[in-house]
Formats: sequence, structure tokens, C-alpha cells
Amino acid sequence: MPRIPILMPQLGEAIAEAVIRAIRVKPQDRVESDQEIMEVETNKTNMGVTVPCRGKVIEITAALDASYPVGATLGYLEVSASDAAKAGFKDGGNSRKVKVPKNGRSPVRVDKKAAPDTAGVHFQVDEDDTFTVAETAAVRPTVGLPVPANASGATYLSPRMKARMQELGLNAADLSSIPGTGAGGRVTIEDFEKFVRQLDSHAQSPASPMRIAVADAMRRSCLRPLATVGRPVLMDRMLLHRKQSTFKPGLTLYVLRALALAIAENTAVGGRLVGDKIIHPKSIDIGFAVEVDDGVLVPIIREVNNRKLEDMVEPYHQLVKQAHSRKLSLEATGTGIATVTNFGSFGLAWATPIPLPEQNLVLGLGVGRKVPVWSDEVGTFVPATEAELTLSFDHRILDGGAAGRLLARVADLLQTPAAL
Amino acid sequence: MNVTYLDAIREAQAKALAEDDRVFLYGQDIASFGGAFKATKRLAEEFPGRVLDSPISEDAMVGMAIGAAIDGMRPIIEMQFADFSSIAFNQIVNQAGTHFYRTGVPVPFVIRLPSGGNKGSGPFHSQSLESLYAHFPGLVVLMPATVEDAYTMLLDAVALDDPVIFCEHKLLYYHLKAEALPTNGLPIGKARIARAGTHATVVTASAMLHEALKAANQLAEEAWDIEVVDLRSAKPIDTDTVLASVARTGRILCVAESFPWGGLNAEVIARVVAEGFHLLDAPPLRLNSRDTPIPYHPNLWAAHRPTAASITTALRKLLGF
Repeated sequence: MPRIPILMPQLGEAIAEAVIRAIRVKPQDRVESDQEIMEVETNKTNMGVTVPCRGKVIEITAALDASYPVGATLGYLEVSASDAAKAGFKDGGNSRKVKVPKNGRSPVRVDKKAAPDTAGVHFQVDEDDTFTVAETAAVRPTVGLPVPANASGATYLSPRMKARMQELGLNAADLSSIPGTGAGGRVTIEDFEKFVRQLDSHAQSPASPMRIAVADAMRRSCLRPLATVGRPVLMDRMLLHRKQSTFKPGLTLYVLRALALAIAENTAVGGRLVGDKIIHPKSIDIGFAVEVDDGVLVPIIREVNNRKLEDMVEPYHQLVKQAHSRKLSLEATGTGIATVTNFGSFGLAWATPIPLPEQNLVLGLGVGRKVPVWSDEVGTFVPATEAELTLSFDHRILDGGAAGRLLARVADLLQTPAAL
Repeated sequence: MNVTYLDAIREAQAKALAEDDRVFLYGQDIASFGGAFKATKRLAEEFPGRVLDSPISEDAMVGMAIGAAIDGMRPIIEMQFADFSSIAFNQIVNQAGTHFYRTGVPVPFVIRLPSGGNKGSGPFHSQSLESLYAHFPGLVVLMPATVEDAYTMLLDAVALDDPVIFCEHKLLYYHLKAEALPTNGLPIGKARIARAGTHATVVTASAMLHEALKAANQLAEEAWDIEVVDLRSAKPIDTDTVLASVARTGRILCVAESFPWGGLNAEVIARVVAEGFHLLDAPPLRLNSRDTPIPYHPNLWAAHRPTAASITTALRKLLGF
């Protein structure tokens, strides 16, 4: 009867080893398929070790309260040849016997007992040519840092993983759903190929080039530590100014202009961190998000700090039109230093938009709502329109306080719309 | 019929002597005594005047062989132990290795090096020098791991026009057996997949092949499927077969009995990294003997060289990455 090992199972994502807490069988016990024979504890939960098929326990090699890595042998079962094959042990569990190399021309074996013809040999060769070096433990738990210290889990990609992903046009972010079975939870090539194979069982539709471009920008953006702060802003003066003006600027333009003036007061907040330097912007060029089919475009208005609100209305409308027809001019598609997004137009009160990869800031405007505001003049609550202003930023460059002050300055500038 | 690795070497020499008048054997105590390991037993009687005892000077032996080879002969030199070939180092690498390049005249000889360790053989009778000779241009370095290869590769070596360093392993001499001598074998420079597998590749040669196969069989009990490549030849290296194997497995462990510093393992890994970086799913590993002289005491010797147990441990590390 073949004997097969009882193995420590894969216990879940990023679990490399587990401690034996209970052993429920002893040698000579009969076990049924899927019977739970041990209880193991991981750093997340307690789980059971089951046997792959029916058989007889012949040996338990695992010790109580000892830790074993995934895949370690915990004991042995005696099972029928067909059960062994079904459980994935190819040669019916007989692999303990020394195998003959398959590709050899004729069977070759190492025969220790054969008496060599050593008469008259002046350098004697001993028959007993092998030694067993005592292995202190058959399997040692994972120790040390088998993957580089600064990369763990799905973030570490082997050269082969990189090559395969490039071949298939995949990005690291695509791996986020794969539980890695490698050291430190890294995704091995076997994990990856299994993932790729199972994708074929799903319905699939092609992603548009626009979708892919947005995905790529967002993926690169998220290589940085991003944070978002928010505060309310009163909209009434802006709305009144807009109503009374002849050129009717959009709310986005007010915010765009206010942000430009605020950044102009301290260009470092619009800078990028490269190595040990803050790179200040050359000019205050700010973009605004325009929703288009299956994506977002961000046309840029140049030197917003040097242009009056009324001068930007016509260019703004043209840029929106060009964006919708995908015909933005070169000047409008370059890099800016910040983006304004009016997510209030979707009815959203709050959001945490992500700055473009080459930008530090994205300013968001929520939907306006009527709120009661105390008026000292009237001595009672009066209705006012309030919206949330949000600012997402690269936390390496700004902290919450600095971001809050920048946002406060924008809110402040919006209270004197005529000066914009 | 049972043919040992040593028998195969003797029979290959007998066949070469019988079929080619240019072939003769030259070495210390190889004629009436039959050689230190009996690799030339009774050949002096069968081929009178063509199995010659040399003076105890490796330098003189190789120098004479170079002269004979230049003059159209095909000498087979027996070193008593690979270790002693260092005395003829200048003749081998400076004279023989460069001769064709300098003059256009080939030096077709074979030097047989009884190589590798045995229990209690100590620092001067245990070394593996394939990496040393493979370093020099102009030499071919062979490392048969099986009875069949010992036979066909020695015959191929005699037929080659280049100087050949033939590293035969002493541990395999008496214990490795085959049913019969082969009629043909793989060409020189071609590696052999000794065991097919999918999870990791072990690249090795000579006696370490058998340790690697034992390790692979042990891991098969845990459902690991290890591929084992027998290089057969240290120079040239069959990089294509190694790369194809790594393409299947994504992981490589190189095992050799020689010392770790530089050498065949390092060369194989350098090639795999340079030409097959995109195939690697784990850092390549190598396992050599330790970087100390080879100990005499059997237990120290067993701890000094790679064994099935230490190969299994290295493979676990590789598979666990």
C-alpha cells in the first residue's frame, strides 16, 4: 500500500506557517476523506488540517505546539494506489523508492553491496560511499527576509513575473486580487498563471483606450502617499456675482482662479518632490476635469494667476467643447500643476479625487446645499448656500495643516468674487 | 552482464586502441600494474607496446603527449588523481590549450582525471578541477555521470581534435552499474534531462547528479516535481538546454562538488541571469563543497560536500521563495 504525506495546507492569503494546537488521531487510526485530523493556529484564526482521502494513519511527525510552514509534511497515511493517484500523488505514493532516470539508455543504478574488484589497488575505495548528514529538522519555519526588505506581498515582482506581465500587457495593480503563496505573501509565477487561466472563465469586454489611459495615470498617481482634507465654503456671494455678471463664469472657474491666486502666494505647495528637492512650478497652469465618454479629460488653462475671471470664460467653454470632441489643442493638453474638479455637478457632497501623477493638488467642489447660518445683523438663522471644498494632495509635500490653510485661503478668496 | 563505470572507461580505451593505431595510453603504473584504479587492467597485454608506464612526472607525461599529438598520435594520459594534474598545469593550459591558436596544428589528446571525493581521501586525493581547466580557452572539459556516458564520451574525446580534460568520478568507479555498454550516446556539448519536472531545475554533473536525483525523489513525496539536468560537459556548456529547463520551472539550483569560488556553478548562473533573467521567478541558488581544503575525516568530508540532504534543504529554500 502506498504511503502519502499529510501536508500543512495553504491556510489563506499571506499565511506562511501555522502552529499545531491539537492532534486528533494517532497511528493505526482509520480516517475518511476530508476528515479533520489536526487543529492549527495562524496569526488570523484557528483552522483544521484534513486528509485528502481515506486511509490509515501510519505516522504523525508533527509535534504539538510547534510551527510548520505551508507544505510541510506533518505525518503519513497509508492509502490505496488509486486514492493516492486521485489525491495528486502521481506514482501512487511510491516515490520513496529511488527512481531510474527516464531518459537513460539503459537502467543505471547505484549498487552499494556489489564487491568491487579492488585486488592490488593501492588507493582503496570504500564500498560504503554514502553518509547521511543528520538533518536537525526536516522542515524549518520561514525565517529572515527571503524577499527584499522594502518589498513584500504583491508589490515584489520577480523578473519572470515582470516579463510575463509585460507580455500580457498587465500592471502591478492587476495583481491586487491574487493571494500570493510565496515568501512574504509574494505572488509566484504559479499563482499568476493560475490567475490568468481562471480569467478565461469570466465574461470579458475590451477596455477603451481612454479607460486604459485613466487607469494608467491613476495607478502611477497612487505610487505616492495621498491624503484629502475638506471644509465648507459659503457660495452665496459667488452665486450672486455670477447672476449679476454679464459673462456668467461657471463655478469651476471661480474656484480655479481662487486656487491659482492662493498658490501664487506660495508656489512650493504646487511643487513636486523629486529626491531631496521641492521642484516649484514655472507657471501656474491649472486644469479642470471634464467628463467625456468612458473617462475624464483635463484641459489646462495657462497662467491662471495672471488672467482675470472674465477673460477665461470664453476659452473655458471652448476647451469643454474641444474635450468632448477629443480635439484639445497641444497647449491645453500639457502638464499643469493642479486640477479643479466640480464633482458637485454629479450631486456629490464629498469626494477624495486623486491628483494626476505629475501634479500635487486636486481641488474638489461639492454640491451646494441650503443650510441655516447665524446672522449677527438679523439676530437669527438665515438660509445660505454651502458646499464642501476638498483638497487632495501628496502628503510628502504638504501636511494636513498646510493643506487646510491653502484650502482656507481659497475659501476666503471666494468670498470676494469681484476681485477674481 | 554488469558493467561498472570503471569497466566502461577501460572498455572505451580498449576499443580506441583496437580501432585507431594512433591511440596509445601513457601514465604512471598503467602497464603491468593496470593503473591505480585498474582502469587499464590487462590492456598492456592486449595491446603490446601501446600502454606505456611514464616516469613519476606529470609535467613530463603531458609534455610528451603534446609532442606525440602534434606529430599525429592520439595519446590518452592517465593522472593517478586529478589533484596531481596541477603539476602539469603549464603544459596543459599554456602549451596544449594555445597550440592550435598559435600554429594551426591541433593537439588531440585526452587527459583522464580521476576526480572528486571519497571517504577518507583528504585534501590531495579528492578535488574536482573541471572549473579550473574550463577557464582556459582551447580545452574541452567533460564530466560523465553515467556508465554509458563514461564509455561514449571517452570515445568521443579520443576522436576530438582538441585537447580534452576527461573528469571521471572515483566514487562512481565500482558502484555505478549498467546492463551493457551503449552503442551510441548524446553528442559532446549536449546536456541531458535526467529527470523531468516542473517546479524547479537542478543543474549538475558527475557524481552530484545521483545526489540530486535522490533529493528530487525525496521531494517528490511532498508532491514537488524537480527537473534535474545532467550537464555532461563543463566546456562547452549547453546553455540552451539549461535555459529551456528554467523556462519550464522558473527556478534554478546549481550543484557541484568543486569549491564555491567562481567555477562551473557561477558560470551557469551567470549565463542564466544574463540570457534568461525574464525566466527567473526566484533568485538562482548554487550549492558547492565548502570553501576549505577537503577534510580527511569521513564525517567532516560528508559535511563538506553537497549531499542529497543538503540539496533537499537548498531546494526547499528555492521552492519557498
